[in-house]
Amino acid sequence: MNTADIEKTLAMLCAADGVSGAEDGISRLLSEYLADSGDTASDAKGNVICRLGGFDESKKTLLLCAHIDEIGFIVNYITDDGFLKVSPCGGIDRRVLPASRVTVLADGGKNRIKGVFTSVPPHLQSKAHSPAPIDELFVDIGLDGTHSKKAVNLGDRALIEAPLMRIGSLVSSKALDNRICAAALLETADLLNGKQTAYNVVLLFSAGEEVGSFGAKTAGYSIGADISIAVDVTFGKSHSESEKQTGALGSGAMIGISPVLSRTLSQTLMNIAKTEKIPYGIEVMPQRTGTDADALSVVKGGSIAATVSLPIRYMHTPVETADISDIENTAKLLAAFAERGGV
Amino acid sequence: MELIKTLEELCNIGGISGDESAAAEYIISKIDGKCEWRLDPLGNVLAFKKGANKAPHKLMLSAHMDEVGMIVTYINSDGSLCFDTVGGIDIRILYGKRVFVGSGRIPGVIGAKALHLLSDSEKESCSLSDMTIDIGCRNADDALKLVSLGDSVVFDSQFTIFGNNRICSKAIDDRAGCAVMLALMDMPLKYDMQFAFVTQEEVGLRGAQAAAYSADPEFAIVLESTTASDIPCCADEKRVCSLGGGPVISYMDRRTIYDKELYAKAFETAKELGIPAQTKTLIAGGNDAGAISVSRGGVRTIALSLPCRYLHSPSCVIDIADLENTLKLTKKFAERIMEL
Repeated sequence: MNTADIEKTLAMLCAADGVSGAEDGISRLLSEYLADSGDTASDAKGNVICRLGGFDESKKTLLLCAHIDEIGFIVNYITDDGFLKVSPCGGIDRRVLPASRVTVLADGGKNRIKGVFTSVPPHLQSKAHSPAPIDELFVDIGLDGTHSKKAVNLGDRALIEAPLMRIGSLVSSKALDNRICAAALLETADLLNGKQTAYNVVLLFSAGEEVGSFGAKTAGYSIGADISIAVDVTFGKSHSESEKQTGALGSGAMIGISPVLSRTLSQTLMNIAKTEKIPYGIEVMPQRTGTDADALSVVKGGSIAATVSLPIRYMHTPVETADISDIENTAKLLAAFAERGGV
Repeated sequence: MELIKTLEELCNIGGISGDESAAAEYIISKIDGKCEWRLDPLGNVLAFKKGANKAPHKLMLSAHMDEVGMIVTYINSDGSLCFDTVGGIDIRILYGKRVFVGSGRIPGVIGAKALHLLSDSEKESCSLSDMTIDIGCRNADDALKLVSLGDSVVFDSQFTIFGNNRICSKAIDDRAGCAVMLALMDMPLKYDMQFAFVTQEEVGLRGAQAAAYSADPEFAIVLESTTASDIPCCADEKRVCSLGGGPVISYMDRRTIYDKELYAKAFETAKELGIPAQTKTLIAGGNDAGAISVSRGGVRTIALSLPCRYLHSPSCVIDIADLENTLKLTKKFAERIMEL
C-alpha cells in the first residue's frame, strides 16, 4: 500500500467500534478485509486469526499480534432523571471526559445514541483545579428516566467518537491504540504477499488487551506459536514529556527489551533493522511489558517473545496522535524478519 | 425549522471575544435590506427595525456575538502552541479536545502529558501550563507557516440534535440570543425596536457598554444563556435552573439587580402566554445587563435567559422548547413594556 492507502485503511480501522469485550465491529471488518489474504477465522472471544500462505510442518510458527479492542465505557446504572453512570473499560484518561461527546452503542451498536459527559460548572466546585473525579461524571443523553431506561440497557458499551483527521504531518484519532498496529499488520501481510517466508506466519488481531489480554491468552493457546511478537503502542514524545521516557514520532518502531522478552529475538530484530536500514528505537521496560507479549510468552509450554511498539502521543484519549511513516517502517521490519528469520 | 437552522449556522461560526467579525457578517447578511443597521467602532451591529406603530418607549434588545475560546500566546521550538483562555473556561474541560486555530482554521488537538507518565501530584492538578495545542508541526518555523501569535482558537464541535428535543453545540452562549433576535426581526413587529448584537461580553461586558450609550434606550431586554446545573451530583439548591423549565427571569446575579416591575411583568406575560418560566435559584453569573442597566442615567433592564447545561464548553446543551418559548416570551414582553 502507498502512504495514502495506509491512511485510508487506518481511518477505516479507527472508525470501527470495538470497546473491550465487544469487539464485534472491528472483528467483522477485519475478517472481511482479510478474507483474500489467507485462511481467516474469528473466534468466540472476538479474536481474528489469519494464517498467511500454506502451513509447512518443517517451519516454526511466527505469531504477529495486534490487539483490536479500544478503551471505552460500559453502562452500569441509569438515574431516575435519565443520566447514565458509566465505568471505564480499560484505563481511560479521566481528564478528557468532562464536556466530551459520547456515543452509547445500544442494541450492540445498531442504535447509536448521542450524549455528552456532564461537567459541574466551576462556580459550583470547591476543587476546580484538580480533574473531576470519575464518580461525579454522568452521561447526558437528553432523555428522562423512563425513556432512558427504555433506550439503554445496563452493559451497553459507549465510546468517544473522533474520526481520523490530519494535523500537520501527523494523524489524530480515537483508538490509534491499537488500530495503528492493526494497520501495520495489514501492511506486513501486503508486503509478504507472494513471498517465501522463514516461518509459518499467523496474524492475531486480539480482543480484550485493555482489560487483561484475555484474547491473546486464548488465541495464543489455539495457535501455539514458537515465536510471538506483540505489536502495540508506546509513549510518543509530545511537548510535555521528557525524551527519557518516550520515543519520537516518525523515527520508526521501538524494539522492546524486558525481563519477560527474548533478548535473542530482540537483538535479531535490531540486526535486521540495521541491515535493511529501517529506522528503529529501543524501549527498555524493567518489568513486564503491559502488552499481549506478557500473555503470549507463557501460553502452553512457552514462546519466545518480543515487542515492537509504535509511539503515539496522548495515549488513552480521543486525540491520540501518530505518524503514518511509523506504520510503514514497522511493517518493513516485521516483513523482513518473517522472510529472513534468524531465530 | 428556521430558528434551529439559524442557530446552527451561528454556532458553527468561530468568534471568540474581540474577533467577532465573522458572526457580525453573518448577522448583517440576514438583516441587510430589512432594517437600518450600522457597525460601530467596537464591532457591535446596531439595528433599528420599524414596527406597525411608533414606539412609546425606546426599547433595546441585546445579545452578545462573542463566544469563549482560546488565544495563541507562544510557539514552542518543537512546533507546539502555548495558549490562554479567552472568557471564563473551566480548564478541566480542555485536554483531549479538537480545535481550529486562526482564520485558516488549522486543525489541532489540545495535548498534555500522557496519563501513565504523570506523577501522583500531577494526577491531582490541572493547569493551563500543562497543556499545549498540537498542530502536527515539527518545529517553530513549520508552525509559523500556519499560525501566528494572537491567533484565535475555537472548539471543533458538531452541532447535534439529540435525545428528546435537545441541542448540543459550542457557542450557544450567546448565539442563541442572536438567533432569537434574528427570528424577531423576521416577524412583523407591533412597535419600533432597537437590536444590539454586541461584542466582548465574555471579557467584561464591553461591547454592550458602548452599544447602550449609542442606543440610549429607556428599557432593555438582554437575551442570554445561563448556567443550568440540573445534573447528578449537584445539590438541588445549587442547580440554578432546569432545562425544559422555560426562559429564566432573574431578580439578581453577580452583576445586576434587575428592575422589580419588569421582573414581575415578565412572569405575568409568561403566564398569559401559557408558557413555563423560572428564576435562578442561585446568585451566580452575570451578563450585559450589568453594563446596560447603568448606561448614561440608567436603563430599566431585564434579562431573559435560556437555561444551558455545560455552559462555556464545546458541548453546551439546551432544550428546543425553551428556545422557542424564549422567542415567544420576548416578543410579547417587548409589547408589554411598550404599554407601561
